[in-house]
Amino acid sequence: MQSGPGVKAARVAILVALFAIWEILSRTGIVNPRLLPSASDTLMTLSDLLQRASVRKDLAVTATEVVTAFALAVPVGALIGFLIAENRYFADVAKPLLFFAFSIPKSIFLPMFILVFGVGFAQKVGFGFFSTIFIVIMSTTTAVESVKVEHLTVARSYGATPMQTAFRVYLPSMLPVLLEALRISMIFNLTGIILAEMYASRDGIGHQIATWGENFQMKQLLAGVVMIAAIAIAFNELVRWVETRCSHWRT
Amino acid sequence: MQPLANITLLKPAGAIEVRNVGQVFKTTTQDVVALEDVSLDVKPGRFVVLVGPSGCGKSTLLMMMAGLRQQTSGTITISGAPIPEPDPNRVGVVFQEASLFPWLTAEENVEFPLALRGITKSDRRARAQDALKLVGLDGFGKRHPHELSGGMKQRVSIARGLVQDPPVLLMDEPFAALDEQTRMTMGDELLRIWAATGKTVVFVTHSLTEAVYLADEVIVMSPRPGRIVDHLQVSLPRPRTYEMLSGDTFGSLRDRIWRHIRKSA
Repeated sequence: MQSGPGVKAARVAILVALFAIWEILSRTGIVNPRLLPSASDTLMTLSDLLQRASVRKDLAVTATEVVTAFALAVPVGALIGFLIAENRYFADVAKPLLFFAFSIPKSIFLPMFILVFGVGFAQKVGFGFFSTIFIVIMSTTTAVESVKVEHLTVARSYGATPMQTAFRVYLPSMLPVLLEALRISMIFNLTGIILAEMYASRDGIGHQIATWGENFQMKQLLAGVVMIAAIAIAFNELVRWVETRCSHWRT
Repeated sequence: MQPLANITLLKPAGAIEVRNVGQVFKTTTQDVVALEDVSLDVKPGRFVVLVGPSGCGKSTLLMMMAGLRQQTSGTITISGAPIPEPDPNRVGVVFQEASLFPWLTAEENVEFPLALRGITKSDRRARAQDALKLVGLDGFGKRHPHELSGGMKQRVSIARGLVQDPPVLLMDEPFAALDEQTRMTMGDELLRIWAATGKTVVFVTHSLTEAVYLADEVIVMSPRPGRIVDHLQVSLPRPRTYEMLSGDTFGSLRDRIWRHIRKSA
């Protein structure tokens, strides 16, 4: 996965080109600027939006929901995944069912969440949790299964306690898979929360984006899109960076 | 540690006694007899090879000597005491190639057994260095397993088995995944290490040539149920040389083992 300076330059070039095309399409009027405000206008609007207290509040609301849902879904999902993977019988029974659950688009359950939780914090967190937990469970079972029996036997033959086995064998074996799971779970989590906000909400950045769209405020809408995209990419890249540092031994 | 010291007064360290050992695996449909009435004496400092076709229980027997598995009947003692659970002070185990931890360096792998005992970092490092030097890997300590060849990885495994200086070294098909040349070289290396340390070695293999080449004694086992069918003394002088492979003594020992194995296959 090492990429030379040439590859990196090409990537930057593509990004710059995309923004340039965007700018040109809008400025020359090839695409109606009311439908597609220029890139520079959008970025300006973005910096303007970030100054606004109301937008910051929306971001804070969304961030709280995202973090809460994630902080609940990851440990709960990991625990369930671990228990399933450690027990042959549970694994045989539960795995196909999990695949069933995973294959259903979670968005169709959103109206039910609104009926049960009302419109508010609990509905967002609940739906984010629900969107995330299946992928966490499945990834954790994969992570546990990636622990080699040979390594466990070695630990046992040198008299490792269960605690030592957990921290010196299970954890390092599972870490690369777990970090990848964390990254992908966050994508599901973020999608779930934003969707819940767009569908029915009084606040949150997803709600704002939906409102800007409905009111045909294209500059604000595009700025919101760029903002969410940047936040999601930043988190993803951060975990990916940790991932490569922790899994250099996986070749 | 204290009781072990007392026991070693009665029995020399490194002696292995296997008495009427049986192992039955219970499955949902039937009971499989993996080992039946196996008895065996290994004197301290001997190099004993267990050989036989798949399913003869040679690895099972080794795992029981390591305390990794308990027999259904009979007794096993190492240095005079039973081994109800793994005891790295009495027994070091060397597994097949995949047994090194890929996220640790060579020296960290060797230090692993010491780290479990809470031995200080500097002490650990010093003992790992000695063990790596002994197996001919001086200067390779900082490499990760994926940066080492198959033969080097097995040297690291042997160093890990020796780092606590146990009187007994159990080896479960340690060279099975290696190519033929590396395998021969590693055999010579193992004999050198064995001569230098005076350990009791019990070595499991599929290879008849490897068995005769390495061993003082070869135990031939046969499956269904797993049992000992022959116990050969290899009278070839040491150090063993490549030329011995084509000699009459070597050939007749190899043939004798082969006849047993052909019968049971």
